Parts: sequence; C-alpha cells; structure tokens
Amino acid sequence: MISLENIALRQGSFELSGLSLELAAGEYGVLMGRSGCGKTTLLEAICGLRNIAGGRIILGGRDVSQLPPAERGVGYVPQDRALFPTMPVREQLAFALVLRSLDQAEIAGRVDELAELLGITGLLDRTPDKLSGGEAQRVALGRALAHAPAVLCLDEPLAALDEELHGEMCRLLERVHRETGVTILHITHSPSEAKRLAGCHFHLADGKVLCDE
Amino acid sequence: MSVPAPSGYHVASDKPFLVGLGVLGGSYLLIIAAMVLADLVFLNYGDKPVLGNELVSHGKYAGEYEEGVPIAVELGRAYHFRAGKNEIGLRASGQRITRNGLFKTDASEVVLLPREPGVPITASLQPEARVAGIVIINKVVNGVTHRLARITMDVPHRLLWKEFIRLSGTGLPGWSGVHEITDTDKNVITIAAPSDTVPVTLQLSKPNPLVQALRSRDIRFSIKLSLISCTLTTLLSLWVAVPIGYMMSRFEFRGKPVIDTLLDIPIVLPPLVVGLSLLILFRYMPEWLSDTVVYKWPAVVLAQFMVACAFAVRTMRVTFDQIPQRFEQVALTLGCNRRQAFWRVIMPQARGGLLAAGTLAWARALGEFGPILVFAGATRQKTEVLPTSAFLELQAGRTDGMLAVSLIMIAAAVVVFIIARTLGMKRIFA
Repeated sequence: MISLENIALRQGSFELSGLSLELAAGEYGVLMGRSGCGKTTLLEAICGLRNIAGGRIILGGRDVSQLPPAERGVGYVPQDRALFPTMPVREQLAFALVLRSLDQAEIAGRVDELAELLGITGLLDRTPDKLSGGEAQRVALGRALAHAPAVLCLDEPLAALDEELHGEMCRLLERVHRETGVTILHITHSPSEAKRLAGCHFHLADGKVLCDE
Repeated sequence: MSVPAPSGYHVASDKPFLVGLGVLGGSYLLIIAAMVLADLVFLNYGDKPVLGNELVSHGKYAGEYEEGVPIAVELGRAYHFRAGKNEIGLRASGQRITRNGLFKTDASEVVLLPREPGVPITASLQPEARVAGIVIINKVVNGVTHRLARITMDVPHRLLWKEFIRLSGTGLPGWSGVHEITDTDKNVITIAAPSDTVPVTLQLSKPNPLVQALRSRDIRFSIKLSLISCTLTTLLSLWVAVPIGYMMSRFEFRGKPVIDTLLDIPIVLPPLVVGLSLLILFRYMPEWLSDTVVYKWPAVVLAQFMVACAFAVRTMRVTFDQIPQRFEQVALTLGCNRRQAFWRVIMPQARGGLLAAGTLAWARALGEFGPILVFAGATRQKTEVLPTSAFLELQAGRTDGMLAVSLIMIAAAVVVFIIARTLGMKRIFA
C-alpha cells in the first residue's frame, strides 16, 4: 500500500504542500494532472530520489520517509525508461538480483520467469539500442519488477507508443498487476488509459490530490 | 480544404553553403596533412658525407671575379658542391656542374659561375674527408682497458663527440656499420675498435639524423622517460579527473563557480608560469620533498600532470554531463548505493570519455615543454624528455636532429591515438 501524509515538496520556486494520498495494497492507482503540476516530482519523492520538506511516506506499512531509495522496495520506470545502454537485456533484468547476491541459478530462474511474463524471452541477449519502443518498455518494466517490489511507480509508461502497441501494453500491465499483485501508481495524461486500467483515480491539481473513485 | 502550395517561392541553392563548409574544413585538413608530410619529406634519409673546411670565401661576383670565382682544388679528389641562390653552377675541366652533391675533379681548378655580376657569393664547396690512417690504441680508464681505433683524416672533419659515424667498404666484420664517436680532435675521431685487425680501405659517412637520434643514448633515455612519464601522468590525471569531473557534473554546492574557475587555471595560465609557480611552491615544501622532486624526474611528471589533468577534468566533466542522472536514479531504486550506481551503471557508459580524456592527457603530457624546462631542468639522461631533446638539438644548431626528434614524437602520438581509437572502436562494435 502507498500512503502519503501531508507531503511537502520544494524544488527551487516550485512548491507543493499538504499532499495526501491513500492507495490500498494491490490496487492500481492512476495519477493524472496537467503538465508541470508536480506528478513526476511526487513519484520521485515516493521512490526516494527527492527529499521531502515535510510529511511522511508509508509504503507497505513502513515509514520510508528517511530511507534511501534502495531500501524502500519500489520499482521505478521513468518516462524515458533509462535502460542501461551498456548491458544486454538479461543483465538489466538480473541487475537488482545481482546486487542482492542471489545465487546464479536463482537469478537465471527469476530472469526467465520475468521474460516469460513480459514476452521478451527472445530479446535477452540484445542491447537496448536494438530494441523497439514497446520492447524497451517491457524490459524497463521487467527490470523494475525483478526484486519483487511491493510498489511499482510508472511515469507515463505508454506515452510514446503507437495505438496498437498501446493496447497491447495496457493488456500487459493488467496481466502484470493480476499476476504479481503489486501495488501500482501510474502517471498518465490519457483519460482513456486511466479509465481502462485504474481501480483508483487521483487528480493532482492546484497543489491537492483529489481522489475520484 | 487543403492549403495550396505557395507558388513563386524559391529557396536559394544549398551549394554555396556546402561548398563553403567543404573549403574551410578541407583547407584546414590539408594544412594538417601537409604539415606532417613536410616533416617527413624534409628529413634527409640518406647518409651524408664527412666534409672538410669550406673553400669558398665571402665576397661578391664583382671586379676581377665578374666572370666567376676560381677555386684551387686537388686533382682526383671528391668535393661536395652546393649552389646558392646566386650561382648557376660550377665549371670543372670543361664540364658544368649544376647539381648539388659530390663530384670528382680531374682538374686543379674549378670556377663558381654567378647568376649575374655584382651579387654576393652564396655557394659552398667542401672537400670530402678521406681516411689517412687508423691506429689501434689501448686506453685504461678506472682499471678497465678500452681498445680504441683512432681514425685520422686528411682534413678537419667537424664531427662531434657522441655523434655517430658509418664505416663502409671495410671488408671486415664488425667494422662496417654505425659507431659512436667517443672522442674527437681536429683531424681525428676515436671509436671503440671492433677488432685488432685494421681495415685497409674505409669510407666514412654520417648516418641520417633519425639513425643518429635513435642510436643516441641521450635520446634513447628521453624517449624512455617521455613514454614512462606520460603514462604515469595519464594514470594520475584520470585518477583525479574522474572524481572531480563526477562531482562537478552531479552535485550543486556553494562555491562551485569558484572551483570551476580554479580548475581552468592550468589551461589559461602560460605554461612557463605553471613551471615557475611549481618551482616557487616547492621552496615552501620540506627539504626532503623538494630534494626528491625539483630538477629530478618526479618534477617532470608533476609539471606534465598540472596541465594534462586540467584537460582530463574538462573531458570527464563533459562525459558525465552527457550521461543523464536518470540512470543513477533507476539504479538507486533497484538497490544500489551511490558508489555501486557509479561503478556499475555510470562508469561503463563513461568508457569512451575516459579513453578520450586519457588520450588527451597523454598527448598534452608528451608535448609539455615550458613547465618542465623551468621546474625539472634540461639535464641529459636525468630530466630530458622528447621536447627537451628537440630544444637541445636546436640549441646545438642541429636542426635535422630536432626534426628527427619531432618525427619520433609524431610517431609516438600517432601510435597512442591508433591504440585509443581501436579500443574505442572495439567498444562500439562489441
């Protein structure tokens, strides 16, 4: 579950305060809002990439406000995906697992499982420059899911995809959500996407998060 | 309804622009290529004869010499002629010699022929040295006996101690080849004798400057010191440039603009001033430290490092600037701390930049001269690096020696660039 209590964010002259949000465990939440209203900033704060000026962030019942990103148990897929350019897909998926010193067989098993789930089994030995947009998106998703985080933060994951891929990725996200039971917070501009995926709609406007279920 | 394409609107041709780019860029490339080629072509790769005193005296082609200057020569001897800008050639026993080089006379007089009357004499005529005799002597130095060959010539030779001489036509193994001159006198040179048998016939020539340079112990030392010090400097520079570049690229802190300016100081400062500043700085250092550094080889490395590192820092900073922070952020959420994110995600991407920074630092270090001269001195076989060698050669009036050293530097730089490029390519095509 994700629970934000009175979060205050400051970045230069940009300021947000008194943000609260509640998303139950295993829910699919979609956060919408106009460009520049601070959606990405909020997501980064949840992941621990940005210091909060006040309030508390509770993930899975744990107050993670002061924890480094590594210990928060979140999966993060940024808007630009940021696949590591020097690593083949297999290494990207194994990245979080290698850090946790799992043994070889365990890592290989988990990588295969993820590749199966996301339909990228054939791409494991490719480097990111040889992936299409949809494929790269799947890999980024797989990388973020590898260490089985309780919370998955997606920053406009479907923005740059064409109509056909868009539908396909929506189905994939639904499947991932169903099969892993991960709590997802998904930022988007598209109302149709929100309508299709979300169990929980949030709207960030005028420095407040409105929940319209 | 679609908007009709506006008619009657034409853009001017792109040709002049593209041609302009090509001409400007092309001429610069041409100059670079021509510059290096000129060095290669200018160097005389052949052996030079050993020559005696100049026979042409100063003066003008005027008065009694209006028709030419007669010079007495020895019958049957070889002379080296070089026409100046005011001569059309040389008349020798009915023949006219216009080509520069050695010729043999069968007369006792030659005449320099002027281009026009009244101009100064600019030609040169020198006899080729002939071997008059060889004596083997034994010389005892510090209890060690050295067997030496004293070669006497019939004219003063103007060869120098530590230069090299080629003996040919000896018919004896060991004698033919290049030898170092260990001592000289007006008409005499001494070399280490290869054997007790003295050759009957013998021709002398001066090997080309490249052979001279590569054979010289001083220059061999300076090649070695240059290669070692440049490599050390490069490693040191990268070791410092990577953390500074990363820090300047990723963190915002107070006083950053000041530090940014400080980092550029070695680039903007005149090189000599860098050396002088180092020299003065070491006056304030403890004695043992300044004794081990100043005017010793560590000073060479330090002088090179001060400038090379500034370039490496620039390069690394730009490299890290071009790697979005997103990668680290994702790595952090995946379980890295900052150190792990740096080594696992950022450094693999910075490899190209690292290579570029290293190559740049190496090349800068190789060419460094001013600070080394001031801070490390120019002591042969101690602090002499290749630019110092070039300078010392020039000072000794041996431009061809300087050119030879320059060619060695060009070769070293080219080799390093090729290595760096190949390594870089490997990364791209892997």
